[in-house]
Amino acid sequence: MNEYTNPDSNSSVVATGLSPELSAVKDFLAECIPFDTLSDDQLNQLAPAIEVCYYRQGHIFRSEDDAGGLRIIRSGAAELRVENDRLIDRFGETVSFNLLGLSQEQPGIRATLIEDSLIYYLAEVDYQRLRKQYRDFDRFFHSQRSRRVRRAARHETTPSEMMRRVKDLMSSNVLSVAPVDSIQTTAQLMSEHRISSVLVMQDEQLKGIVTDRDIRSRAVALGLDVAEPIERIMTVSPDTIFDDETLFDATLFMTQKGYHHIPVVSAHGEDSRAPKSVVGIVTSSDLMLARRDDPVYLVQHVNRQQTVKGLKDITALLPDLLAQWVNAGIKSTQVGHVLTAISDAVTIRLIAMAEQELGPAPAPFCWLGFGSQGREEQLLGGDQDNALLISDDVKDSDLAWFEKMAHRVCDGLNECGYVYCPGEVMATTKEWRQPLQGWKQTVDRWTRSPTSDAVMRVSIFFDVRAVHGDASLAKQLQAHMLKRTKGNSIFLAALAENVLDAPPPLGIFRRFVVDHNGEHRDELNLKKRAVIPIVDLVRIHSLAHGIQAVNTVRRLHALADAKVMSIGDSRNLQDALQVIMQTRVEAQVQQLMNAEKPTNYLNPDELPKLVRKQLRDAFSVVKDAQQSIRLNYRPGL
Amino acid sequence: MWDMKLKRLYYRLKLLTFGRSTDTRLAFSLLEKCWQESGFSSNRDWREQEFLVVDAEMSSLDAQTGELLSLGWVVIREGRIPIGSAVHHLLQSKDGVGESATIHQIRDCELVDGLSAEALIGQFLEAARGRVLVFHHALLDVSFLDKLTRAFYGAPLLMPVLDTLQIEKRSLVRREVPLGQNVLRLASCCARYNLPPSPAHNALTDALATAELFLAQIAHKGKDVRLGDLL
Repeated sequence: MNEYTNPDSNSSVVATGLSPELSAVKDFLAECIPFDTLSDDQLNQLAPAIEVCYYRQGHIFRSEDDAGGLRIIRSGAAELRVENDRLIDRFGETVSFNLLGLSQEQPGIRATLIEDSLIYYLAEVDYQRLRKQYRDFDRFFHSQRSRRVRRAARHETTPSEMMRRVKDLMSSNVLSVAPVDSIQTTAQLMSEHRISSVLVMQDEQLKGIVTDRDIRSRAVALGLDVAEPIERIMTVSPDTIFDDETLFDATLFMTQKGYHHIPVVSAHGEDSRAPKSVVGIVTSSDLMLARRDDPVYLVQHVNRQQTVKGLKDITALLPDLLAQWVNAGIKSTQVGHVLTAISDAVTIRLIAMAEQELGPAPAPFCWLGFGSQGREEQLLGGDQDNALLISDDVKDSDLAWFEKMAHRVCDGLNECGYVYCPGEVMATTKEWRQPLQGWKQTVDRWTRSPTSDAVMRVSIFFDVRAVHGDASLAKQLQAHMLKRTKGNSIFLAALAENVLDAPPPLGIFRRFVVDHNGEHRDELNLKKRAVIPIVDLVRIHSLAHGIQAVNTVRRLHALADAKVMSIGDSRNLQDALQVIMQTRVEAQVQQLMNAEKPTNYLNPDELPKLVRKQLRDAFSVVKDAQQSIRLNYRPGL
Repeated sequence: MWDMKLKRLYYRLKLLTFGRSTDTRLAFSLLEKCWQESGFSSNRDWREQEFLVVDAEMSSLDAQTGELLSLGWVVIREGRIPIGSAVHHLLQSKDGVGESATIHQIRDCELVDGLSAEALIGQFLEAARGRVLVFHHALLDVSFLDKLTRAFYGAPLLMPVLDTLQIEKRSLVRREVPLGQNVLRLASCCARYNLPPSPAHNALTDALATAELFLAQIAHKGKDVRLGDLL
């Protein structure tokens, strides 16, 4: 039996499902997310309900005059835009969209075909029936919608620790006494279990709560007989909190009401008259504990350490914390910021310790962070890239102080897991530890004759950030650098050459290009093949137009603001970077959970289909952007 | 299409006046019914016309010696192809499949389960009622269908027919594209319109591919395409 609308009621053959000769239609659907969650039989039932349509490039589907239904791109490509022509998604074959659903969240949304396209159309009734019937199918369109909306409103959301749910923090092992139990029995129970509060329950219903403080002030202080029933001193019908409320809600509630203990009730069972079932209790110390992994507290903790060993103990916690943060839904960009903030704090602390040992610095200086630290995009397992910029006021005899300090700091960083840079890009190397004047000459030399070595150094050097010390020194050097590069077409061309050396891993047949030898055979180095190409090409645009920002996302914003890049291109690259970084950080977490060392490698075969698809799209965006570099800067050669 | 109407008239007169038997006359009335419902008005908007897009597989390219092996078709209604309208029939074979089996992947044993030629042409005419037929390289397929309708109804098919191969050829000639080898093959035509390649080669997938090609060709003709524009 076929339950879908029968588009050809004249024919009796339809009701038997899909003709086996048309299995290609079913095979195609099985390639499409989320149809891949349906069985062969289900797809055979569904396929006859599909109608095939063809539209030319430029055709627009508008939500205002759309009859609904799901459109699956069989061949071709489309993009979704909202008001002000803002691009929110662009996709190709196997991707589907339901304008009616999207328009409920984004009024005025429209889909424009950017290639001639063959479209499989599923009428709204059939689409809704599928959603009703299959949970996975339904869930995909729920999450897809919110994902798109989230992307559209990306700058407004900041998921954080404070958004964790009460049910993840509470203790669910709840102790209770009956209202008639004596004060003494209650106190004994509490001592025995080392708890500071207990619930008073009768017939599975919450009657009250008793805390240490109640026993002290309402019983002992008043000389009440300990054999009296506990109901005499309990707080009757205490306020409760739902288990799906957030850490933020709970903290706010406690501070406002002055509570230290709150019973937690289940959020399920929406009938407000029904007695709510108690599922746990949350205390102010639970909330404190929950914030132990708050990065702000962690940085403060770093600042209090007196020894390298103490710092090492903290950085040893980072892998676990990374896993927690990622699981709590913190985005990769935020994770990068946090991990950078911690490595900054460790560096600063090490400099302070060196100053305690060696005496105060004899001249103003600035400690520079390069690479991912410079860009605030650090993850785990990266090496240190740093340098020391000293004021021109320094006396030659004082340079030795800086050398000693550099060694102490770089050694300390290595101890803490930020391993030595194999390319010696560190303050311990003489070339990377100079007074400002010397630095300027070095930059001049690099930009004048852009050998490939010089280009490599410059590309490191341009992602520079003042980690500690006199930031004005770093500003002067950066200004000098930008002056030398802005409009320097020969140098930019050499840099472009470097960028084009690393095409994203999008093979001819849209297959991943993976490394073919070494320990990570058949694995994909996401950092080398995907992150670095984006970072490189964004950097070259920034340099060419004198943009001062260093963080890649901030650079992309600045490029769009300066109209160097279209808003759409800038957003596309941000999305691509976000997808790649997120995949990378989640892969690292997975490696940590498997007790493996975090690396930048991952096996494309192990990625979920959806992630593979997203990566592929992200790589296409990078490839397009590289094309534009080719057109813009290469003619300088 | 005047030509077609005259021929229809000729066969009507011939069969009704000199009909060999009542059986033939009765059978012919089925074909005639199909004729009555299948007009072709050049002025009609293409979206208001239903089409039956057909592909046939045969054992040889010559209708005199060859035999129809299978027939597949899909409907186009309101400018769309409902996948549910797809039908595929195998024909019971008198002779073996011969060498063409390597192309069509139809083996003799499969043909045993097929329809008789009479049942097949009956089903086909039923589906063709009120619709304009579309083929890729109509001449070949129609010559085989003619053979069957002559055998069972005493007259050739004489239905309005459009040909995606001819549409493509005219469009290429108009744009002065040289007609090299293979450019008019179904797969080559589909590729020009960004249509997906069709994997298996059977009458039904080819009928679907032809239907997709037909929609693409119309889309590329612009807005308000009328049936006459497709001749």
